[in-house]
Amino acid sequence: MAVSAVHLESDAFLVCMNHALSTEKEEVMGLCIGEVTTDSFFACFGVDTNRIVHIHSVIILRRSDKRKDRVEISPEQLSSAATESYRLAEMTGRPMRVVGWYHSHPHITVWPSHVDVRTQAMYQMMDQGFVGLIFSCFIEDKNTKTGRVLYTCFQSVQAQKGSEYERIEIPIHVIPHEAIGKVCLESAVELPRILCQEEQDTYRKIHSLTQLDPITKIHNGSVFTKNLCSQMSAVSGPLLQWLEDRLEQNKQNIIELQLEKERLTQELATM
Amino acid sequence: MAASISGYTFSSVCYHSANSNSDHEGFLLGEVRHEETVSISDTQISSSELLQVVEVHNHEPCAQLFSFYDYAGQVNEESLNRILKDRRKNVIGWYRFRRNTQQQMSFREQIIHKQLTQLLGVPDLVFLLFSFISTANNSTHALEYVLFRPNRSRYNQRVTLSIPNLGNTSQQEYKVSSVPNTSLNYAKVIKEHGAEFFDKDGVMKDIRTIFQVYGALQDKVQSVCGEVEQSERVKEKVQEEVNKLKQQIVLRKRKTTDEERRLQEAQNPELRLTPEENTEPPETALLSRVAFHTPSTPERPGPSANPPAYSDLLSLQNDSLLPFSSSPTSAALLPRPQAVGSPGHPSPSPLGLGLSAGPNPAPSPGQEDDDEEEDDEDSSEYENLVSEVGQLPPVSAIVLLQGRPAALSPDGDASVRGSQT
Repeated sequence: MAVSAVHLESDAFLVCMNHALSTEKEEVMGLCIGEVTTDSFFACFGVDTNRIVHIHSVIILRRSDKRKDRVEISPEQLSSAATESYRLAEMTGRPMRVVGWYHSHPHITVWPSHVDVRTQAMYQMMDQGFVGLIFSCFIEDKNTKTGRVLYTCFQSVQAQKGSEYERIEIPIHVIPHEAIGKVCLESAVELPRILCQEEQDTYRKIHSLTQLDPITKIHNGSVFTKNLCSQMSAVSGPLLQWLEDRLEQNKQNIIELQLEKERLTQELATM
Repeated sequence: MAASISGYTFSSVCYHSANSNSDHEGFLLGEVRHEETVSISDTQISSSELLQVVEVHNHEPCAQLFSFYDYAGQVNEESLNRILKDRRKNVIGWYRFRRNTQQQMSFREQIIHKQLTQLLGVPDLVFLLFSFISTANNSTHALEYVLFRPNRSRYNQRVTLSIPNLGNTSQQEYKVSSVPNTSLNYAKVIKEHGAEFFDKDGVMKDIRTIFQVYGALQDKVQSVCGEVEQSERVKEKVQEEVNKLKQQIVLRKRKTTDEERRLQEAQNPELRLTPEENTEPPETALLSRVAFHTPSTPERPGPSANPPAYSDLLSLQNDSLLPFSSSPTSAALLPRPQAVGSPGHPSPSPLGLGLSAGPNPAPSPGQEDDDEEEDDEDSSEYENLVSEVGQLPPVSAIVLLQGRPAALSPDGDASVRGSQT
C-alpha cells in the first residue's frame, strides 16, 4: 500500500532546514521519526487505505561515508535512531518509529539521483511505507538574484521495463506547530556535537600514525583547531544566538498572552 | 552591496511562515558594515572600493498582518514602537512571506517601505521577499527569496543574499605522512623547538585549549536550549488557556443571542426566520447568524448564505477611514478575511472583506488548516491586483484603493458590492 501523503510538523521542518543550511559543500542527512496512520473509513469499503506518514521529529546523522555525492546510513545509526524513537514514543505516549530519511542537495537539483532512488528502494524493502525527503538549498539564479530552497518527498517503484527503479512523487504538507517540541530542540543542538565528534574521530586516526615528524604533527593539530574554530563560528555561535532570540521572543509572547488571559477572564466574568 | 543571513535565522523565518496560514511579515534586525577592499591595477597604484555589507542577525516576526499599518498602507508609529520596543534602532529591513505570488514588491509594500524608511531613519532599508510555490500534486515545494533595496535606483535593486555556513568540512587537509627528509639538523631543530607545542602526554596544547572552548560553548548551548524548552512549554500552556477562554466567550455570546432570538420570536411571531437559514454551511451559519442579530444591524429583507456585506456595515458607521477605530460588536463577528490575514481588530476599510465571502468559506478562528495552498489563492490574487493598480496614473494612495471597481473583487458578487468605497 503506497503512502498517500506525508505530514511534516513544522518544528521538525525547522530542524531539517537548519541541518540542510549548515553546509553547502556536502550533503547532510538524517532520519525522520513519527507514525503512520491509516484511514480506516475507506478500509470498510475495501478501498486501499489512505496511509499518511506523520513526521514529528528528525535525528541528525553522522555521515559514515563523506563522499560528496553519496548518502548511506549504517546499521548502527539505524539502531540508535530506533532508540530515539522509543524515547519519543514514551514522551508522547504514541507509537513512534523511524518512518523515513532526509538528505540535502546543496547547489544541486531537488530531484533524487539514481543512487538516491536505489537507496530508497532498499529501505522500502524493509518498510513499504518508508519515505524519502530531499532539501535543495544554496541555489541562486544569478540573473534575477533570486535564491531558492526546495523540498520534495518521494518513494521508489520498480520501473516498467528492466530492473531499474524510478521515483514516485508523494504529496508533503508542513503542519503548523506553534511551539517547538522538546525532541526537536534536542535534535537541533546535537549538530555541533556530531560535527565535533566526527572531527575528533578523524584526528584520532591521524594522531595514531607514528611516522610523523613534529612539524607534521603541529600541522595536523592546527588543522583540528582550525576546523573546530570554523564549526564554532559557523554553527555553535549562530545556534546559540538563535536560541537566545527565541527565548526572548517566548518571554515576550508569554507576557502578552498572560495579559490577554486576564483580559479575557475579566470579560468572561462580566458576561 | 552584499547581504548575509544566518541559516538559523533563515530557517526560523521559514518556520514562522509555515505556521501561518496567511501571509507573514516581520522585521529584520542586524547591522550594516562597510568593508574596504584595496586593489592594485595597472592604471592606479591602489584603488579602494567600499562595499556595504548588510548582516541580518535575527528577525522580529509580526504576530499578524496589518499590525503596524492599515489597509490603506498607512504606517502607525505607535504600533510600530509597540512591536519593536528597544529593538527599533537595530532594524535594517523588513520581510514578507507570500504564497503563489510574483517576485516583486506590491504597491502597498512600496508605500509601507517608504514610510518605514522615514520613520526608522534607515536610508538603505532593505526588503526581503519570500514567495512560496508548490507543484500541483504538492509533492515538491519551492521557497524563493529576493532581497530588494527599493531606495536605490530602479536598475540596481536586487541584492544577493548569502547564507554563511560551514562550507568545506573536508578533512583532507590532515597530512598522513611527512615530507621525507634525511637531514639530521632538520630533525633535531624541529624536535627541540617544536616540543613547545606539546604537553607531557604528547598531545598538542592548542588542541586541549580549543577543546575546552568548544566544551564550554556546547554546555552553554545546552543550558540555553533547556531554558528555551521550558519557555516553549509555558507558552503552549498559556496559549491553550487563552484559546479555551476565547471559546467559552464565543459560546456564552452564542447562548445569549440564541436566548434573545427565542424571546423575540416568542413576542413577535411574524418575524420568525425561514427554515432556509438553518441549512447554511456550519462555518458561515454561526457567524452570519450572530452578525445578523447584533443590535446595530438593521433588519434584513431575507436570509442570505453570505455574511453581511461590509458596505452595509459601513452605512452605520461614519465614513472616516481611521485605521484603528473599531466597532467590536458587529465587525468582530464577521468571518475572518481569508488568507489576507486576520487583523484581529476590525477595520472599516472595505478591501479586507472583499475576499472573504468568496466560494471558500472562511475557516473558523483558531482552526489549524494544513492545506496552505487553497487558502492563499485569494491573497495572491489580491497582491497582484494591488500591484496592477500601482501602474495607473499617480493619485493619492487612499483614493486609489478606495476607488477599486467592484468587478475586481474575486467573489464575483459585484452587484452587492457596487457601493464599495
